[in-house]
Amino acid sequence: MSSRLVVSCTLVTFIIFVMLPTFYLISYVFLRWDEVWYEVFANPIIGDENWRQIIKALIFSFRLSLSTVAFDLIFGVPLAYVLARKRFPGKGLLEDLVTLPLVIPTSGFGFATLVTWTTVAGLGGLLGMRSGLISLNAVAPFINVPFILFIVHVALTFPYVVRTVETKIQSIDMTYEIASRTLGAYSLTTFRNILFPLALPGIFSGAVLAFARSLGETGATMIVSGVSTTASIAIVRWASEFKIPTAAFMGSLLVFIAWVIILPAEIYVSRGRRAHSLSFSVPMNLTRRIIRFERFLSRKLFFIKDIVPLVIVAVAVVIPIAVVLNSVILYWSADPYTGKIEGGVVHQLFGPSNYFSHLLKATLTSIIVALVSTYIATCIAIPISFIIERRWYGRIIRTMLKVPLIIPTSSLGLSVLLLWGSSGLNLVSSGIWMIILTHIVFSVPVVVESIIASYEGSGIQMYEESARTLGATAYNAIEAVSLPLIKGGVFTGFILSFTRSLGETGATFIVMGRDLTIPVLVVNMVEALAIPAALFTSTYLIALSLVMLAIVRVFTQR
Amino acid sequence: MSIVKLVNVTKRFGGITALRGISLSIEDGEYVCILGPTGAGKTTLLRIIAGLVEPDEGEIYIEGRRVNGVPPERRNAVYMFQNFALFPHMTVWENVSFGPMVKEWSSEKIENVTSETLEMVRLGERRDAYPSELSGGMQQRVALARGIAAGARILLLDEPFGALDARLRVNLRTQLRSLVKDQGLTAIHVTHDQEEALMVADRIVILREGRIEQTGLPQDIYNHPKSIFVMSFVGGANFLDGVVSRVTGSGSTIEIRGGLRIRVSDTSNGAGERVVVGVRREDVSLGKSRKRGFNNLVGEVLDVMFVGGSIEYVVRLENDMTMLSRILLGEGSMAFKEGDMVIVSFHPSECHVFQYPERGLLKEIEAI
Amino acid sequence: MPEVKLVNVTKRYGRIIANDHINLTIKDKEYISVIGPSGCGKTTLIKCIAGIIEPDEGEIYIGGRLVNNVPIEDRGIGYVFQNIALFPHMTVWGNITYGPRVRGFPPEETEAIAREMIEMIKVTARVDAYPDELSGGTQQKTAVARALMTRSRLLLLDEPLGALDLKVRAALRYELRRIVKDLGLTALHVTHDQEEAMSISDRVVVMRRGRIIESGRPIELYMRPKKLFTANFVGEANFLVGEVKLITGEGSIIDLGDGMKILSRDRSREMGERVVVAFRPEFASLGRTCENALAGKMTSIIYSGDLVRLHVELPNGDVIVVKRSLRLYEPIPRAGDEVTVSVPPENILVYPYPERGLHRELSLE
Ligand SMILES: Nc1ncnc2c1ncn2[C@@H]1O[C@H](COP(=O)(O)OP(=O)(O)O)[C@@H](O)[C@H]1O
Ligand SMILES: Nc1ncnc2c1ncn2[C@@H]1O[C@H](COP(=O)(O)OP(=O)(O)O)[C@@H](O)[C@H]1O
Ligand SMILES: [Mg+2]
Ligand SMILES: [Mg+2]
Repeated sequence: MSSRLVVSCTLVTFIIFVMLPTFYLISYVFLRWDEVWYEVFANPIIGDENWRQIIKALIFSFRLSLSTVAFDLIFGVPLAYVLARKRFPGKGLLEDLVTLPLVIPTSGFGFATLVTWTTVAGLGGLLGMRSGLISLNAVAPFINVPFILFIVHVALTFPYVVRTVETKIQSIDMTYEIASRTLGAYSLTTFRNILFPLALPGIFSGAVLAFARSLGETGATMIVSGVSTTASIAIVRWASEFKIPTAAFMGSLLVFIAWVIILPAEIYVSRGRRAHSLSFSVPMNLTRRIIRFERFLSRKLFFIKDIVPLVIVAVAVVIPIAVVLNSVILYWSADPYTGKIEGGVVHQLFGPSNYFSHLLKATLTSIIVALVSTYIATCIAIPISFIIERRWYGRIIRTMLKVPLIIPTSSLGLSVLLLWGSSGLNLVSSGIWMIILTHIVFSVPVVVESIIASYEGSGIQMYEESARTLGATAYNAIEAVSLPLIKGGVFTGFILSFTRSLGETGATFIVMGRDLTIPVLVVNMVEALAIPAALFTSTYLIALSLVMLAIVRVFTQR
Repeated sequence: MSIVKLVNVTKRFGGITALRGISLSIEDGEYVCILGPTGAGKTTLLRIIAGLVEPDEGEIYIEGRRVNGVPPERRNAVYMFQNFALFPHMTVWENVSFGPMVKEWSSEKIENVTSETLEMVRLGERRDAYPSELSGGMQQRVALARGIAAGARILLLDEPFGALDARLRVNLRTQLRSLVKDQGLTAIHVTHDQEEALMVADRIVILREGRIEQTGLPQDIYNHPKSIFVMSFVGGANFLDGVVSRVTGSGSTIEIRGGLRIRVSDTSNGAGERVVVGVRREDVSLGKSRKRGFNNLVGEVLDVMFVGGSIEYVVRLENDMTMLSRILLGEGSMAFKEGDMVIVSFHPSECHVFQYPERGLLKEIEAI
Repeated sequence: MPEVKLVNVTKRYGRIIANDHINLTIKDKEYISVIGPSGCGKTTLIKCIAGIIEPDEGEIYIGGRLVNNVPIEDRGIGYVFQNIALFPHMTVWGNITYGPRVRGFPPEETEAIAREMIEMIKVTARVDAYPDELSGGTQQKTAVARALMTRSRLLLLDEPLGALDLKVRAALRYELRRIVKDLGLTALHVTHDQEEAMSISDRVVVMRRGRIIESGRPIELYMRPKKLFTANFVGEANFLVGEVKLITGEGSIIDLGDGMKILSRDRSREMGERVVVAFRPEFASLGRTCENALAGKMTSIIYSGDLVRLHVELPNGDVIVVKRSLRLYEPIPRAGDEVTVSVPPENILVYPYPERGLHRELSLE
């Protein structure tokens, strides 16, 4: 039957372009175990120094990611609740602000945060100080990680928790909460007893996504990390030092860890609803005290849950963006503090270093990469989404698709390099084509998730069955009924994946060869201390993404 | 020749057997109602005929052709979902012309067929509206028009009134039937509403736990239920369990709880057998005096209820059993109120006698 | 104690006025039903009383206390939902004891009330079963038990039987009435099913387009509806258009055209006024049994169990329905036969001809 042919073709394409690159790294380590062993554990000169580096980077990354997730949960869950259940003016704007870090290029955003907190052009200057508000290496208390790094990671992972939990809460019938209220439970008591247990799978998967994202973040981390080294930065560094076996070993460790986190989470989430009931007995008078406390909070302090998350969004997302925009203006013609025109945006762009031509070239590369990879990814994602929804092995594919979504992009880049590049199949060399191949890998899951979200809410199966009994063939039905119904999902997925591709840094670094993209250019400028040029480029990049987001808004509101 | 024929159709979902050995044949132009409680397998049966579900065993014939494995679009049977499943992104016109479009008829023919069917359901003026702008009743008519325009000979209707207000349903029933009859279509209509089935069907099929319990003309099903379940499901009744104490040529006597005796015309059960007597609520009358030739029992009115044009009395008998009596307004000669002592009368020929069910009486009649 | 009083309650959604100046008093221990077509504002009304939505205008009093700004949990109500809404992650026992637990009742007391309530409501399910293991009817009974556990005296039911099979529905409505009466509760029951409302309640309120158009005892509403819409909504009826010809001591004589005249005891209309005459099919009988006799031709017969509906076409083309029970051992005419239909003058209702036309006034949507 022809439908079998379509399914097979789709699956083959999917395996070659998405699954193979994702898992190749692990097989690489096994295939070249001798080299890995030699370089990581038994180097004649430095012994197991590389192994110790790996462990150190991993421990630091874990500390950073865990504290980030904890913070996200404490403030993200209440915000998700408010967004899912309340209607208020400016809600759409707030949602966009929360989502912003998902779509703005991370290196640009990292740079914005850096400027805001550590330079005189940022908050320090605003508060009348002659220096930045804090130093780059200031360490946050308790969690013992650099403060800036922590802020950046919170901002970048917050949307994963908020959006996932928000979607989950929206899918829970509000009648349960109303029922609980009519039975005499205060809103906080209701939250604890009803909403929280029912939303637990969502909270859990939001936390997993945030954790993995934090573990793999490269672009912004590179800019703000100072002397600290996270696991994903280590990969980029080793790859650029040609310590490929060490980088590959570290990369496959991260892929492996991603698996170890996702699998139990998927199993937990897919179990029946009863599995989530948490039952522990609490003494009666304690319960009563808890309830009285909840009553107090529900009545008197309800605004805390509304206000605090707003402050976080403002501090972590809005202020940095505003500061960068402001700085570009300040630095336009000359450095405002020293008065040197070498320190101005105009000079750096058009002067001897001529960053403007680099920027033009990078823009072209970025846009070609984003367009081509997103287009191909969408072509793969549409049939894959249908397969996920209709075949018994759909669940398995969907679970596997989570892996490229959350493994560190630097491991992904490395994997693609080793697979297609000169040391592997030798079909593609570093450069724009390899960037495209890499971006396809993480774009497919982005588009698929978006299509599935619109698929599942729309009762497509019923409409298709109707169409079939009215005389439409299976293909007719998909074309005339299903595709128009999921059009919005495809479009949203396209834009999300486009912006993600536009802002990707970690993987691009490894596979780009001589073709720079804009986010990489930002990192290079920062490393060359061309701060005003970096300011301008970041602003430019953020603006580009904002336009994209605005298009999505307009489209989805219609 | 029968237009739809099922032979020994069985369908399982994991451990659940939704249909067990269903054999059924439906004539061209017939209006058949499939009646049964939730979970009886009604929807599964319709979906199997439509080709949306394949049976595990058995054969399906449509217009004499075996259609096992034939895709839905080549079966000539339209399946109408309970919530109508109108395509939300298409106007009324586009919805109705969907069938003709995918069948690639000439544009002139599409135009004609669509406007004709729309006129037929009196929706010509709303052709440019989207489904969400229509009321429930209008949506139902669009769904019907869409099916008819697609040229289907067989309409499969899954609880077509389920999504509509109760009062509206009553009006639409007869309209639906006459539309189907006027167009010469065959309809298979699934419902759990016995009154609806009694009013619209040429023939009723009673489904229970995946089996056909009884098939027949509506009045036959009502007047001659084969089982306690059918009697209780179609029309409802009072059920009194007892033991046959005496059988004579003209009838038998049954002793129920508290030593009360009931005479019935039925003689099919021998003395000593445990039986259940079913008496329709409409066949029970209340009065101040005993009626000759009737069973007369003494009781007290517990509650009086007003049910859609009838008055229903709940009466407690001397043996603490309760009986219901329903009297059409305008026909009852006397009114009673709570606490009144009354004589409950019903005729021996109106008593249906069944063997006591193996699984217990409650299992057969309980609704909840 | 829980007398409920609504004064000028109004709720708007943009252009739609879901509740338009609703005034309603529910007496203590009264079982009241609100009926009306879909979208007439029934749910909005009951939600306003529960505090789930805030009305834009008007006051709501429960037991004499103004509750406009009282949160849901302090209004002391029991609420039963159409979609049942048992907490899916809790067992039957967990659901039933939820109210007392969150209110901090002592465990022994909670347990005692729960046992009593399970007994009273005849929840036959195992207490350690989860909701999705129960049938629809049992789920809804459990939900009623849950709503009553906090000893609220006011029970609000929003289409409580709507999600259930017809037969289950019929069985449960008796149960509901019994529970409410045995416990001495005040109940407000919202439904689109007029038969359910009529059989279960002490008083029925009819709503249309956000307004209360009429209320009364079920039998009154059925026999003597004040509004044309009510006459149609609470049960089947025949409607004929005519003109008042003569008003006498006997009543008014209405000319239906084509030589047909009909007498009604209603004398409230004026001479020459254009009117709509209504009567219920069960009050019409075949043969000349009283002074009101209309001649016509049988067109079709529809059986439904013990009842039969006879469609009779009058000389002017109108079709009227006669409903009778098959228990009257009289022969039934065949289609095509000439018949006479009689309706007692007491059962003939007369209404002014509606401005918007008869069809639109009677529309059920
Ligand atoms: N897709 C399915 N998967 C598993 N079980 C099903 C499925 N469809 C129906 N069933 C089961 O089959 C039985 C009959 O269902 P259905 O045909 O929907 O009954 P009805 O329409 O009479 O309510 C039920 O027990 C139902 O749970
Ligand atoms: N949240 C809402 N937003 C907008 N309109 C609403 C909302 N809730 C109800 N309505 C409108 O108010 C009217 C009354 O609705 P409702 O009270 O639910 O009616 P009923 O319960 O009688 O069917 C309807 O026209 C409905 O469309
Ligand atoms: Mg069904
Ligand atoms: Mg409602």
